Parts: sequence; structure tokens; C-alpha cells
Amino acid sequence: MNELDIRTIRSSIEKINTLPTIPNVLKKLLKMLENPATSLNDIGHFISHDPIITTKVLRMINSPIYGFPGRIYSVNQAVILLGLNVVKGLLLSVSVYDLMKKVMMGLWEHSLACAITSRLMAKKKGLKEPEESSIAGLLHDIGKVALILQFQGYYETAMSTADKKNIPIMDAEKELFNINHATAGEWMAEKWSFPRNLIEIIGYHHKPHISRNFPVETSIVHLADILVRGRGFGFAGDRTVPPVNETAWALLNLSNNDIKEILKELEESMGMANELFIE
Amino acid sequence: MQKIVLITEDAHVKEKTEKVLAHSFELICLTDIKSIFSFLYDSIPVVVIVDIQNCDDYTFDAINQIKSDPIFGSISFIALIFDNDNLPESERVFIDDYLKIKDIESDLAFRIRLSIHRSKRLNEINPLTRLPGNISIDREIHNRLLNREEFAIAYADLDNFKPFNDRYGFGRGDEVIKATGRLILNIVKNKQPSGSFVGHIGGDDFVYMMNYDSIEDASKEIINAFEIIIPTFYDIEDRERGFIESTDRQGNKRLFPLMTISIGITHNRYIQFTHYGEIKETASKMKTYAKTFKGSCFKIDERQIRN
Repeated sequence: MNELDIRTIRSSIEKINTLPTIPNVLKKLLKMLENPATSLNDIGHFISHDPIITTKVLRMINSPIYGFPGRIYSVNQAVILLGLNVVKGLLLSVSVYDLMKKVMMGLWEHSLACAITSRLMAKKKGLKEPEESSIAGLLHDIGKVALILQFQGYYETAMSTADKKNIPIMDAEKELFNINHATAGEWMAEKWSFPRNLIEIIGYHHKPHISRNFPVETSIVHLADILVRGRGFGFAGDRTVPPVNETAWALLNLSNNDIKEILKELEESMGMANELFIE
Repeated sequence: MQKIVLITEDAHVKEKTEKVLAHSFELICLTDIKSIFSFLYDSIPVVVIVDIQNCDDYTFDAINQIKSDPIFGSISFIALIFDNDNLPESERVFIDDYLKIKDIESDLAFRIRLSIHRSKRLNEINPLTRLPGNISIDREIHNRLLNREEFAIAYADLDNFKPFNDRYGFGRGDEVIKATGRLILNIVKNKQPSGSFVGHIGGDDFVYMMNYDSIEDASKEIINAFEIIIPTFYDIEDRERGFIESTDRQGNKRLFPLMTISIGITHNRYIQFTHYGEIKETASKMKTYAKTFKGSCFKIDERQIRN
């Protein structure tokens, strides 16, 4: 099957130019942009809750045109450096999703919950830049969007296989594509000159024990992913809750009480987020 | 080869244009203005030709958005029209030239060469930040004084930029200059979308002009953004330590704090200036005064002299 040759998959992922997002988020953002009282910070804050627009903004600011490749990971900073006109221009090129809309909604909620959980964990661990973890949590599954976009039919097959066999989606992806979404995401992030830490976390969030440069940050996103699945926020392609990687667990060394507090705060934040972004 | 983008849905127009341009330029054909944004991520064309035979406000918005960003300021936009009747008002859309579709074969190649030359001549810009340079800054001040406009002018410059450059090299120094130019531009334009001006004198010196009532808020925001963004250009160890080791002008090793920004502001609300040199000198003095304070700050000329 030539179409699923690994080199073909890689080149079609690297060719992606525009990513699809959810209509509600886009509509709200366009409305904010029309309001003259909206500040650059408001826009940055709003965007940092949407994985697709965040990806677009980071891609633009890290592109050779602006000349600081691989340096900016914060959406707020990116928005200040790009300016509102460029952000508006980016939104014109965001396509709105209709196909597999339900899956995209589920993935959006999963990603947002992971962003919140990662930030809370980073704070608990006393990391200097909790926003870095938040963005990594938001974008960890961006490879799924890439695969859905380029291979929608196959991806639907992978999802129904995962469902029937009750296996994780990453295993079903591997069967079909020979790679999983983590690799797909890593390719895309590399191609778009994302900061090193983001590339590594996206690529290794299912095998945090072999992350070389950012083991703590990768472990955070790994654990956040599992907690969010366990807690049942969103839908990441399958209904399984994979085991926690032992090395990551030991490295983070969180107490039961820490986890309880994180889950409690996550629940409050998700309630607010749904109100703000979806309804 | 220089790149030219053609946006048209008309196969006939596309074919004609290809025939004229394909051997001297790299021609990229798109059917929809939306797709140009993804294209602009990777490279900047010299000219964009837009077929506006039957296009909507949306297309004009997109053109204006591209044209209003100095990064893309050097791109010329040529509109293709069916006849003179459907030319949009020039105040509403920033196009640089137009051509009737029937004249593509005879005139397009020549018009494009003219556009490229004109854009080189008109854009006296700093190659690093793509902001207007000294000649444009002086002209802007001069015109404002001539029109008796009330305005405020700020001079901004970085503290401890040289040791940063020495420690990390020019490449990273350039990144800091670009980031500073961008953040000043975006904050000023966001606070006051029309009638504001941002220029780059050179090195680590910038100028911005705004209404007297907006400049204080904008300056506060610039300082905030600077203090958040610029430290990320240091290596993490240096940033956490809060200083770097580098050599001073005498060649001695010394410790230098992280970069900050000093801004001096003057205005003609209460003070009269007649010559652009005079107001520039005052703004520059205010900046020197701001630099005597530790850390980032702005200082406004508070004299109230009426001549």
C-alpha cells in the first residue's frame, strides 16, 4: 500500500499548511478582534486555550520571516510580537471543521484539560515556566489532527479498530501507519521550527523515560494525559486509560493529596472553560 | 528567482500571465486570497497580482492586513481589473498599481519591473526590523510640525545591549533588536491604530510618535512586554542568575545586569518646537535622563513653557 509508505506519510504531514479548528472558538475570537477595547494580552490568553490556533501562531512567529526560529513558545509573547493584524490574517486561513466534527470537539476538550493539568503539575513541582507546560499539554496530540487531516478514512479505521479491540488509539495507529501520532506531531513541530522543548515533549509523551533534555516536562504531560483520560474529560480517540510510566511517576514524585488537589482544580477550570469557549 | 504570486479564479487570466512572466519569475498561482497567508510563512514575494474582477470586501481586508505590516511592506500589489469602473477607492485598499486584463500581454512585465524599482526606492527601511529609518523619521516629524499637529515623541534605547551582543554574538543580538522593534510597533499600533508612527534610528535606538494622551499607557505596556520577552533571549542559567559576564568598553571583565529599556518622551502640547532637530534633541535628552535610572523606565518632559 503505497499511500501509507512511511516516507509518503512524513512528506504529506510536512506539507500541511492549514489546520482545521472548531467553529465556536473561531467565531468568538473574531468577535473579540473586532472590539477595539480588546488588548493583545486578552487575545493571547484566549488563543492559548485552543490547540489549533496556538499551533498556527507559534508556527508563524518561529518562521524564518520573523527571524527568531525556535525561541518563542509563549502565545502571549507571540501575539505581542506578531501584532493583531497578523493574527487576523492567520484566522482568515484557519479552516473550520465539519468532517469528524465530534472527534475534533472531543480532542479539543482533551487537549485543553491536559493543558490545565500540566500547568497545575508544573506549579506543584515548582517549575519556572508553568506556561511552557501548559502549551505542551495543549499541543501534545497535534499529530492526531495532522493524521486526521491527511488520512481521514484511514484514521476512522484506526479509531474503529481501537474501539472493537479495546486497544489504545496509538497502537491502532501504529498497526495502520507504522508510526503513531506522537511521531507525526514531532515531524510537524520540527518542520515548523518549534522550540526544542515542545518538539521533544510532543514526540515523547508516551515514552517519557527516554526524553533526554526535558524528562520532567515530558513526564508532566504524560501523566496529565492519563489523569485527564481517567477523569473522562474529552475524547482522545479511544476509551482506554493507559498505565503510568514508572520512571515518570518516580521522577514527579507527587503525593495522593497533590493529585487530588490537581483534579479538583482541573474540574473547576474546565467548567469555566466550557462556559467561556464553547457555550 | 524572484517570486510573484497571482491570485485569480479565471483560467484565461492565469494562462495569459504565465505566458508573460513564467521565464523571468517564479510564478505561484492561487485561486483564493486565503491561501496566501500560508504561503507568506515561508517566503516573501516581490509582487502580488490580484484579479479583482469579482472579489469581495474580504479580499480587500486581507490585502490591507498584509500591507499594514512592515514585514510585508516591500510587496507591491497590482490589481487586475476588467475596465476602469470596478477599481476600488484607493483610500480604502492599499494597492500600488492596476492593469486592465486586456493589457496583460503588452504591459504586465514592464509594470512589474517598475513596481519592483519603485518599492526599492520608496522603502527607506531598516533591513533588520523593516521599520522606516532616519530619513522617514525626520520627514514625519517635519510634516507634523508643519501641520501644527499636537503629538508626543518617544526615544527608546536598550541598556546593556553591547555586553549581550559580545556574550552571545551578533545573531542573537539581531533577534533582540527585531523583537524589540516588533513589540514597540504592535503595542503602539494597537493603542492608536491611525496617526501613530514607529521608526528605527539604527542600532538599539527606536522612535515612536503618538497622541499625547496615549503615549504614557503605550510606554508602560512596552516596558512590561520588554521585561517579559527579552529575558527569554538569554540562556536559562544567565536569566536565573540575573546577570552575565562580559567585557566592558575598556576590555575589563565585568558583570552586567539583564537588558532593560529606557524611554524619553517629549511633546508639543505645552512646549513649542519649530524645527524637527529641536524636538529630536529634546527627546534624546529625555532618554539620556531616563537612562540614569536603574532598570526599565520612561520619563516625560513636564516643562510647561509657552513661547
